[in-house]
Amino acid sequence: MLAIDAAAEQLGLTAGLALAQARAMHPTLTAVPEDQTADARLLDAIAETCQRYTPLVAIDPPDGILLDIGGCAHLFGGEEKLRADLLARMTRLGFSARAAIAVTIGAASAAARFGDTTIQADSTRDPRGRLAPLPLAALRLPDETVAALARVGLKRIGDILDLPRSPLAVRFGADLLRQLDRALGREDEPLTPRLPVAPYVAEKSFHEPIAREEDVLASVERLAARLKTALAARGDGARRLELALFRTDGAVKRIAAGTSRPVRDPQMIRALFVERLAALGDEIDPGFGFDLARLSVLNAEPCRDEQIGLGTREDQIELDRLIDRLSARLGRQRVSRLLARDSHIPELAAAVMPAQAMTRGEFGWDAFRRFRAEAGLSSRPLRLLAKPEPIADVFALVPDGPPARFRWRRALHEVVRAEGPERIEGAWWSEKGGPARDYFRVEDKAGLRFWLFRAGLYRDVAPSPPRWFVHGLYA
Amino acid sequence: MNMIGWPMTAAARPNPSAGEPTARIDQLRRQLGALEAATGLAGDCGALFALGTPVIDAALGGGLGGGTLHEIAAAREAEVLAASGFALALAARRISLRGAPAPIGNSCNARNDGRPVSVPSGRNVLWTAEDLLLAENGALYGPGLDEIGIAPERLITVAAPCARDVLWTMEEALRCRAVGMVIGEMRPRGIDQVATRRLALAAAAGNALGIILYTAPDDAPSAAVTRWTIGAASFLDAEQSHDVGSPRFLARLVRNRRGPLGTWIVEWNSVEQRFELATHSEPVAGAAFDRPHHTAVA
Repeated sequence: MLAIDAAAEQLGLTAGLALAQARAMHPTLTAVPEDQTADARLLDAIAETCQRYTPLVAIDPPDGILLDIGGCAHLFGGEEKLRADLLARMTRLGFSARAAIAVTIGAASAAARFGDTTIQADSTRDPRGRLAPLPLAALRLPDETVAALARVGLKRIGDILDLPRSPLAVRFGADLLRQLDRALGREDEPLTPRLPVAPYVAEKSFHEPIAREEDVLASVERLAARLKTALAARGDGARRLELALFRTDGAVKRIAAGTSRPVRDPQMIRALFVERLAALGDEIDPGFGFDLARLSVLNAEPCRDEQIGLGTREDQIELDRLIDRLSARLGRQRVSRLLARDSHIPELAAAVMPAQAMTRGEFGWDAFRRFRAEAGLSSRPLRLLAKPEPIADVFALVPDGPPARFRWRRALHEVVRAEGPERIEGAWWSEKGGPARDYFRVEDKAGLRFWLFRAGLYRDVAPSPPRWFVHGLYA
Repeated sequence: MNMIGWPMTAAARPNPSAGEPTARIDQLRRQLGALEAATGLAGDCGALFALGTPVIDAALGGGLGGGTLHEIAAAREAEVLAASGFALALAARRISLRGAPAPIGNSCNARNDGRPVSVPSGRNVLWTAEDLLLAENGALYGPGLDEIGIAPERLITVAAPCARDVLWTMEEALRCRAVGMVIGEMRPRGIDQVATRRLALAAAAGNALGIILYTAPDDAPSAAVTRWTIGAASFLDAEQSHDVGSPRFLARLVRNRRGPLGTWIVEWNSVEQRFELATHSEPVAGAAFDRPHHTAVA
């Protein structure tokens, strides 16, 4: 048995007992197999709930959560009130939890797991006195080290506090001293937050939980107005925002929205979330309501104060606004710009990039035009298929020439006009480059135009029949 | 299939010496225009957008209205490339005509909000299509666009999960004044008149040209000002040339609120950015050109 609940504890059972033995004592026992991933998920969900107290939350596996409350305890009326609130919340969610506040991670973890948590916490006090009566296992040491220490009669942290350091290190390893130093605050121990910390954050808690979309949007606008002051003070604007809605039952909904230029305007930020909420629809399940809303700027960029009213500039702003709205509703990947790439391979010559990711510029088309003028590039199709599609029943008059007819998507096309070939070598430097292709631009009897190619040079692929593909379509 | 019409009516060719009926028609047109303006569907705000082919522009009464909605349907699914080519050629022309920033305080914007702000030049084009259609007909290819005269840097493409999102995207984009033209590729079903009316209103509000690009002909009622069926056009005289040449369309104007209908074979001249009647094609017979209920254009 790995863990037991309070009722089992009252029956005199302990963790570590064999299940068969426990069953013999209490046949009605309910046992659930261990599921480590589910445990980890649950711990993460609890940590998410704790995110309301501070942005610096770390998971301390297998059963702990660390909160850095430096600088934010006063928001909850002091450290002790924060702890009480946290414990009350955990109880409400149906967990039994212990919490301790101390100056170091080591001391807090030791006190929460082994100490008397009813002691008034004071993060400024030296943790020595508090740690001294605790067992050495509280220092987060490997079991062997604890056992070795126990063999020589060292059982409590107080026992080793005043011992000479070097013999301890020699006998029990440097790890012991490092953990002791960390617990005492002699050595810094960084807390690795489970989520990146946003440079700008504004939050609002509600006495009466909110559930309606309008209320959420209204609070977004109010929070954005608060962020605006902070952003303006440092000359920044938001490129990526996240709205975290904390539900009363502990669940947290996170909604992210991006912009194509740094923004500060609360109205614009609200407009982004209007689209995001519309796109998410029922996925935002408010349950019994949200009691805390937090708006964070995940990415900030310098934002120059704009001069409004100068022709093309205005154009650009309007366009960016449209792109942001569309991206917020449909998803960033769906709203794109076309880029020219420096490649002679047709499918690599043009790239599609999310419009929000593109800063203003020429997207490479000027260079492409120069290249075409110099190299005399032949005609390119208007639309390119995602993958070249094989064509069947190809019949060519001359082995190296264009097909006289072919079948594509079940329809037979009779070629009346053809241009080509344009030979495009494969990427010989790459293993996946493929063979050279001979491209033809052909027109069928009905006037439909295709961009076809034969994979491989004829002399290389003969005697097996060469393979043909449709790659693009012309108007 | 290859009939080429010459729509010639008195209304399409303003004649100073025209008699009583012409004056009456003109008067009725003006009245109708005033009524449509009141509904916001007319979109007369902004200059007419001429195609550059005198005979077609005459049929359109000078060109396509600035802030209006139009429908372009492929003659059949296989010819959707011709239809999209026609729409994109219109876009290329729109961009090049709008090359210079619009004059400050143009009458349209003064009417809209009364603020003497600078006018976004609307040089951008937005193209949106359902995912499925992009997979089937291919995505727009920058080098090919550039070839027919659309600067790819002026284009924004939106892949929409479903037809409803295409309509929503079109409406948003039409209202944006930085966008001069919006093309939405869809299958012709489930798009009701309310949806097209919304698009027409958005086009009028944003002074942008809206094009619904259907992959097959559709005869549902719609708020569009014109409806075109575009097919691929092949040369009749196969011996003349062996070059594939520039994009060539069999364009049928099958609905026109402002004037007669017609069928033309046009070629896109990407250098001068205008449509030209195919030079070596000869008129075979006149197509019906009166109001839709008189016509049998298929």
